[in-house]
Amino acid sequence: METRVKKTGLTHKLLMFVLMIYLLIPLLATFLYAFAKEWQTTVLPERWTVGWFSEMFQDIRFLDALWTSLYLCSISVALSLVIMLPAVFIITVYLPKWESFMKGIVVLPYAVPGVVAAVGLIRAYSSGPIEIAGTAYILIGAYFIVILPYMYQGIRNSLLTVSAVELLGSAELLGATRIKAFVSVILPNIWPGVMTSTLLSFSVLFGEFVLTNMLVGGHIQTIQVYLYQRVGESGHLASAIAISYFIFILVLSMILMKLGKRMNRGIEG
Amino acid sequence: MSAYLELQGIRKQFGNTNVLNHVDLQIREGELVTLLGPSGCGKSTLLRCIAGLTEIDGGQILLEQKDIVNLAPRNREIGMVFQSYALFPNLTVAENIQYGMKMRGASKGERRNRSEELLALIDLEDKRDAYPQHLSGGQQQRVALARSLAVQPKVLLLDEPLSALDAKIRKNLRTEIRDIQKKFNMTTIFVTHDQEEALILSDRVCLMNKGSIVQQGTPEELYTTPRTEFVARFMGSYNVLTKPEVLRLFERVDSTAESFAIRPESFILLNEEGRNEALYADKRIVDGNVHAVSILGNIIRYEIDAAGVRLTIDVLNDGRSHRIGDRGAVSLALDDSQLLHLEKEGA
Repeated sequence: METRVKKTGLTHKLLMFVLMIYLLIPLLATFLYAFAKEWQTTVLPERWTVGWFSEMFQDIRFLDALWTSLYLCSISVALSLVIMLPAVFIITVYLPKWESFMKGIVVLPYAVPGVVAAVGLIRAYSSGPIEIAGTAYILIGAYFIVILPYMYQGIRNSLLTVSAVELLGSAELLGATRIKAFVSVILPNIWPGVMTSTLLSFSVLFGEFVLTNMLVGGHIQTIQVYLYQRVGESGHLASAIAISYFIFILVLSMILMKLGKRMNRGIEG
Repeated sequence: MSAYLELQGIRKQFGNTNVLNHVDLQIREGELVTLLGPSGCGKSTLLRCIAGLTEIDGGQILLEQKDIVNLAPRNREIGMVFQSYALFPNLTVAENIQYGMKMRGASKGERRNRSEELLALIDLEDKRDAYPQHLSGGQQQRVALARSLAVQPKVLLLDEPLSALDAKIRKNLRTEIRDIQKKFNMTTIFVTHDQEEALILSDRVCLMNKGSIVQQGTPEELYTTPRTEFVARFMGSYNVLTKPEVLRLFERVDSTAESFAIRPESFILLNEEGRNEALYADKRIVDGNVHAVSILGNIIRYEIDAAGVRLTIDVLNDGRSHRIGDRGAVSLALDDSQLLHLEKEGA
């Protein structure tokens, strides 16, 4: 019995290993390419350099683009969190009849391709009462819509997983006001789930290119727009940017995950 | 006697369905009343209405003569235990129990004393710092009970508290709940779909169907004198018979009723040797054939065809009666005084 359990474990591990290799090989190649000076006829590069990285970091536009991406994505995700958290909570708990309607609404961003959405948005907002085409506002608005499915599903699933309706009922019967009940028993329990959707949304936005380029490409350079522009110049430089971008996202994910865990523990202890 | 908790004409609709149909119910202080019924009969909805978690469309809920319909759940002084326990996963057992007191502004010392008392009552003192997810289902339900009792509610509502637990724990916890309820003289409404649970626990059972209370009474009343076919079928393995079937079995019946019920244990199975005609002089003897036999522990349940009617008959498993079943042909002694005349549904 024991050996069989072990065997299955081994198969699983092997499968995971193969999958990891499959996923990591392109990354590894990019990584090598970013450090390669000459790489023509050999398996591994003949000579190495950190020149691409130094060139990149000396480029003020790279740091600008990184910063622009960071704050645009943060603002959009924060805005979404502030609006969606209470909205989804109210719909799930008090207006369950709206659920099926909302479910349909939130998958619409999937249904509309980025190009179509961008053209539509530019047409709608380049004239008339709200003239914000080409500005950060239209981008933040579009970003809000892009992450709607992730935020809605994430928050809703968290609420259902913890049986929020019953928790709330219990808390209210024990004498808590609705707001107090939300803060003391709902929020702490859905927080890990909410954190995960926030992180996911952030990553999605950080990597978003089509919509960004079409909406504000000429005016605002996000990291993706910058990357796109540099790809044509030098493959090595683009690799260096991609690797930096990957490491940045990795570090960010780890920080957010740690943060989520600590918050969770803080509430429990 | 005036009722402690009184429901008057409670109505509730979901869409076009009447979930609660003018429900009236009076409960004395310290009484344990069971709302029994099949799923979807409205019993849980009624409980949620009393708690204030579901708004009612009409009617009054009087607690100590005061209408509480317009009060928020937190001001009703009603405690509730949910089927899924609904313990707060982010709080320890002790914090869960103290939650209500904290919300009501009790001091830290007071809270600790009370939670220690209750932890002793539910015998979980060593689990005070554990989180709910590390407790078994039975332990979680005890914590949920303690949490509700901590704020000393006037009425305790239990919504199928035992249905998620396995049989043995359910039996133990059933007794424990009854003991605690008696100890605190807690006015309690217990919702269940399990008639055995209702009969064992309750001072009074209210059987519900389609949003109405169809019959209420002591467990014994409800079991021995079901008024309608629904009650008879729900309360036990009653044989429910139509008038023609009764006529075939008893030859004559003085009643205008259209359906009848007879309890499975009210037949006497006769075997050839033990057949003493004199003893059964006032009874009708009918011949039948055994269709199936099943042993339910201390009783044997026969399915017997007699006069073209399939009857369920229970006999005490005393080692003698079993032989009858092996043969096929049997005789039954029927007593028409055991025959219950049922009212039409909804009458």
